[in-house]
Amino acid sequence: MSFMHKISPTMATRTTRPMSRAKADTLLLLFACGLILAPHALHLPLWITGICLTLMVWRGWITFRGNRMPPRWLLLPIAVLAMGGVYLTYRTFFGQEAGVAMLVLLLTFKLLEMHAGRDLFVVVFLSFFLLLTTFFYSQTIATALLTVATVITMLTAQLSFQYAEAIPALGKRLKLGATIFALAAPLTVVLFVLFPRIQGPLWGMPADANASRSGLSDNMSPGNISKLALSQEVAFRVKFTDPAPDNSKLYWRGIVLGEYDGRTWTKRPSRDQANQKIMWTPRGTPVRYQVTQEPNTRPWLFALELPEAAPLLQNNRTGITPDFQLISERPISARVRYDVTSYLDYDLQANQTRASLQEWLELPASYNPNTMMFAAELRKQTDDDLTAVNNVLKFFRQEKFSYTLQPPLLGRNGIDEFLFSTRAGFCEHYAGAFVVMMRAMDIPARVVTGYQGGQMNPVDGFMTVRQSDAHAWAEVWIANRGWIRVDPTAAVAPERINRSGATTNDLPFGGLINMNVGANSWLSKIRFAWDATNNGWNQWVLNYTPDRQKSLLQSLGFGNIDWRTMTALMFAIGGVLTLLIALPLLANRRKIDPLDAAYIKLVKQMAQRGYPRDAHEGPRSYSVRLLASASKLTQEQKRAIKNFLIIYEAARYRPLEKSALPDVLSKLTSLLKKSR
Amino acid sequence: MTKSLRKIFHQWTGRWLFRLRDAEVGEIFLNQRRVFILPTRAGLAFGVMLIVLFLCSINYSLSLGFALTFLLGGCAVIDMHLTFRNLAHLHLRPGNTQAVFAGEDAQFELHLSNRRKHDRYAIWLNFIIDDAPAIEHVTDITADSTRSIALSTPTQERGWLAAPRIRLQTRFPLGLLRAWSYWQPAMHVLVYPQPEENGPPLPLLDGAKASGYGQAGNDDFAGIRAYQAGDSIRQLAWRQIARIDGGALVTKQFEGGAGGELAIDYSRLPRAMTTELKLARMTHWVLAAETRGLPYAFHLGGSHFTPAVGPAHQAACLGALALYENTSERAA
Repeated sequence: MSFMHKISPTMATRTTRPMSRAKADTLLLLFACGLILAPHALHLPLWITGICLTLMVWRGWITFRGNRMPPRWLLLPIAVLAMGGVYLTYRTFFGQEAGVAMLVLLLTFKLLEMHAGRDLFVVVFLSFFLLLTTFFYSQTIATALLTVATVITMLTAQLSFQYAEAIPALGKRLKLGATIFALAAPLTVVLFVLFPRIQGPLWGMPADANASRSGLSDNMSPGNISKLALSQEVAFRVKFTDPAPDNSKLYWRGIVLGEYDGRTWTKRPSRDQANQKIMWTPRGTPVRYQVTQEPNTRPWLFALELPEAAPLLQNNRTGITPDFQLISERPISARVRYDVTSYLDYDLQANQTRASLQEWLELPASYNPNTMMFAAELRKQTDDDLTAVNNVLKFFRQEKFSYTLQPPLLGRNGIDEFLFSTRAGFCEHYAGAFVVMMRAMDIPARVVTGYQGGQMNPVDGFMTVRQSDAHAWAEVWIANRGWIRVDPTAAVAPERINRSGATTNDLPFGGLINMNVGANSWLSKIRFAWDATNNGWNQWVLNYTPDRQKSLLQSLGFGNIDWRTMTALMFAIGGVLTLLIALPLLANRRKIDPLDAAYIKLVKQMAQRGYPRDAHEGPRSYSVRLLASASKLTQEQKRAIKNFLIIYEAARYRPLEKSALPDVLSKLTSLLKKSR
Repeated sequence: MTKSLRKIFHQWTGRWLFRLRDAEVGEIFLNQRRVFILPTRAGLAFGVMLIVLFLCSINYSLSLGFALTFLLGGCAVIDMHLTFRNLAHLHLRPGNTQAVFAGEDAQFELHLSNRRKHDRYAIWLNFIIDDAPAIEHVTDITADSTRSIALSTPTQERGWLAAPRIRLQTRFPLGLLRAWSYWQPAMHVLVYPQPEENGPPLPLLDGAKASGYGQAGNDDFAGIRAYQAGDSIRQLAWRQIARIDGGALVTKQFEGGAGGELAIDYSRLPRAMTTELKLARMTHWVLAAETRGLPYAFHLGGSHFTPAVGPAHQAACLGALALYENTSERAA
């Protein structure tokens, strides 16, 4: 490789010039690698980030000073130690997180062991791979922009090593890198849209894939949901086909929790779960909408109470459990989109016998004695279940209960403490306490967690439901009415339910500073616009699934397209695009003067008749020879040729005014016709 | 067996695929059909990397992963065009050559013209010589400019040496692809025989006086030469000395007359010597006579030159030596 002896000598030799070329190249490469490694610092253990930083600085110092690279016997033990550290941290070498950590270390060590041109490519390829792994953690617009900058820098570093003689200034090289990117971008779009997509995963995903997602968990203990309350992460987005219902009616049902151990609410162990016939009667008008759910690594979906049927997912079976949870066979590890129709009015299991609901009455023994006693007292006041429910709600409303994200810690008999001493809590406290009281009063009840409300974005008409909208409420079973929703939090803090949507981002600094923004302020307009952009990004870029691809092509009028046609289409459009890009790059033709073009035409005509112009002949000597020798030509033709060449010669070699050009040209063309 | 098969294959690819042709006279335009392009090893590795990225994107449903994969693939496509453009549409013109002695390196001057509006970088040129790794020369050619570079190749035999086939190649800008082209310029270098080392002294007619250069005649003024220690004061060319800045001494030179006549004659060499050795010795004598400024007659086969001295005479004699009984023809 001719390339090798270009880099290697400069690596070792100390040059006196302030910054030799190879040094600048290597520093640029280091910078590009730094850009790739930096986002990984957000999730890697601190010690790995530290090692990488040290090694990069070391490498930069070596390059800058022109020192020798460290010998292998020094690097190897450090590398082995680092690998051991990875194993100790993750307890495996495989899987997503450990793999990324290994790759990061590999890249930094390779930088210290880069001797030949081949090594440069190893570094570049490793870098591009690491760039991809960034997307495990973030695929936002910002990440995409950073990626573009990184790719351009990397391309610039790569091409900098290819110069052999003169090397242009960094700005010019960056421009070339950016040009390559800009020319590749249209091709990228075509490939992105038309490359036949395959639904992953191809092989088993490591268990820790997407481990960092937050969201509702399958149990509820104090603090679970309030932890989410400050998270602005999007849980899902909704596009309503029918008019969106009032915010206070937006209960996005998630998980039903029936088991209580005194502290934590958990799901009932699943028995003959999905698709059992559930008796319920929808009432009123249906609401149709489409949910785009962010991956939450849990096998459940969200819909307004109550969905008509389980939505359909690609490659993932879905169903409805007897307690009306939407579940899927496999966890939602990628963004999914599904259509749902919900009835906000319904009778759920109204005709059930009381006996079949025994499981919703179980309470752990010897917990919260005060609550039990209080419930028994309330029960004595009325026989009617519904009245009992209202009495409890009245209790919540009339006593000094407060709604806070920072509730005091609770001991063993948490509900006793909450109900009778602290009286401050979050929705999970209210829902939990309420259900315990219901059960103590022999009313079947259960906790339902999910999301409540959502923020409508006027820019694109999507409703965003964030993690901070996570909520817990209760369901009680009343004879002949079935399961009805009771939200005890609403009794305490009605604004939690009725808020119009702009107040989610409150309570920074413990609520000292009011960050509430009105729905019409410019700040919220920016926020809506930004949300809409993000949502468009999610809908069209991140969630461009095989389904979406098909429906897009269908809407473009390609009908039901199979992958073969799609590939052909991709090649056709890609080919045309490449041609459009390549032609100006390769364009060869110089503009031919119209006078010369006419002359060339005449010469061609004569050549066809057997009198080609010799290379040394000018127009005059050519015309002399033609007129003398060409016996096949008529007198008229000869005259035309003679005139043509005289005019051509005059126009060619004498200064010609621009205004005279069309006139001369028309003369030449007519003579050209005559000479044929 | 395999070797001959390979040779046949190479000939076939050379003729049909790469359209290798006989020497081309004059300026050559590297049109699109003359430039070939294939991925380098790094380019192939890049392709493998793209596949891995693609599979990874599918498996983890990484939309931006797809975008990155396609972007890098697009960059490779663009790189292909840029690499091609870096070499294609170049104008190549043979330059001057100078005769050399066998064993020396023959230099071929080449002019590369870039008449495009874009700069070209890192174009590597080398001769293709069987079994010999030819040294690569690298050059940049800025927009609308011409660069001249000299490629050299070692010589072994006297006679006309045709320029070997030249390969031009480039990997710029990303190094993922290599574009190359072949050019067989119609260029020849005349290779003189290698002068005999430590050969016998000049064969002056009068053997006894062979040691003196004063034997050059005294009758006819033949020109001047630099003063050498021992020249008679009477022979100094005062008029010329006065004209020379710095007053270097020059000596008048005469020829003919009584001085022993120097003749370098092929037929007078011992019969036992091989032709090549004879030619080597004659070359040696020609050079020796030139350094001493002795006029010499020259007889070789059909070439007969009357006694003279100077670059033109030397070139004629050496040329005759180079081409004596030479079967290799120089193409017109």
